[in-house]
Amino acid sequence: MVNRKLVRFLSFRYIILASILIVLAGGLVLLPKYEKREGISPETLLSNVISPERYITTDELADRIINQDPSLLLIDVRDKNNFNKYSLPNAVNIPLKNVLDVDSEPYLNQDQYDVILFSNDNLYSDQAWVLCNRKGYKNLHVLKGGINTWFSTIINPKQPTEDMPSNAFKQYAFRKAASMYFGVAYPKKAQKQAVITKNTNTVSVPKKIVPKKKKKKMPVEGGC
Amino acid sequence: MGPLIPNDIISFEWSSIIAIIIGIFFGFILEASGFSSSRKLAGVFYGYDFAVLKVFFTAAIVSLIGLLYMDYLGYVDMSRLYVHPTYLWGAIIGGAIMGIGFVAGGFCPGTSLSAVAIGKIDAMVNVVGIMVGVFIFSELYPLFEPIYNGYFQGNITLVDSLGVNPFWFVFLLTIVAIIMFFATDLIRKRVKKVFY
Repeated sequence: MVNRKLVRFLSFRYIILASILIVLAGGLVLLPKYEKREGISPETLLSNVISPERYITTDELADRIINQDPSLLLIDVRDKNNFNKYSLPNAVNIPLKNVLDVDSEPYLNQDQYDVILFSNDNLYSDQAWVLCNRKGYKNLHVLKGGINTWFSTIINPKQPTEDMPSNAFKQYAFRKAASMYFGVAYPKKAQKQAVITKNTNTVSVPKKIVPKKKKKKMPVEGGC
Repeated sequence: MGPLIPNDIISFEWSSIIAIIIGIFFGFILEASGFSSSRKLAGVFYGYDFAVLKVFFTAAIVSLIGLLYMDYLGYVDMSRLYVHPTYLWGAIIGGAIMGIGFVAGGFCPGTSLSAVAIGKIDAMVNVVGIMVGVFIFSELYPLFEPIYNGYFQGNITLVDSLGVNPFWFVFLLTIVAIIMFFATDLIRKRVKKVFY
């Protein structure tokens, strides 16, 4: 038996399908619009925040600075006073409150350099890192421990005691050498050098005075 | 949730297996709906059968509407979908050549393969013709290279290049498509019926 009602219904099948399409497409137009969030999804941000991959140690950073790694871009997120007092060589000052400014975007949002954020500890730089990471910027790193750890490890390294492993001594040697690169003078070495210089320069040679002739300024002549 | 493979819900290695499965179903449905017949395909150009136009246009609209709804509800992130890059003149010239081949041979590349699968000789000739075309193109590649790689517009969509609201665009496109379906039906009734 042919179901007559079904047959009659199915004779309109194309019209029904067409109207379903129009209703669905019209529904898209009528949907209430909402602002889409920019940048990465919350899940990715969370997993990025948890992962310790973003940290770079002071030793590694010192090694890269000394080897004149051209891909480094150091960014100081402390305020201007602190930046003027002391900062790492060739650092750029972008205070935390200015991280999202238009002017600072070219520094942070690029894929040419390894951006290294640092502050006194890694607290503010972590905040800056979260802000930038949220916007989807790449190659961002945070100096572990910030300037404080930089001082206690690179600038003023602790001498290892005798019962420490040989690695600690190697590390100490590296840090001491690095601190000399960054301009720390060790009084013992300075004294020794002074002694050597005295021994070599025993005979005092009277200084020859070479008179420099001062060029007379010629009056400006008229040119053609 | 987003696109499954870019979001690592399905691992990347599965992509070719999934592609093969989708391809098998695609070929099967092409064959089942009669698209392995060159007479049915060529009917679009002679006006006695508009199934090709209707099927592919409907497929495009259904997937568009579905994707926009899923994007709205957060199931698919449209910005992470692959958009094929546009090489303007390459696409125009290639489309014209492909259209001529479509009218002359009665197959497009996909349907010709599904017709080969059921043993049609004209489709086999068509596939050999495609291979010859590919060979000529690769041999003369230096000649075609400026067109092939030139006029690059990036991964743009119609909505981007027109700068219109995607929802309104889809709505208008749907209405245009349905008007087109009715119009082609009228044409089909006027044209002399061809038995195939």
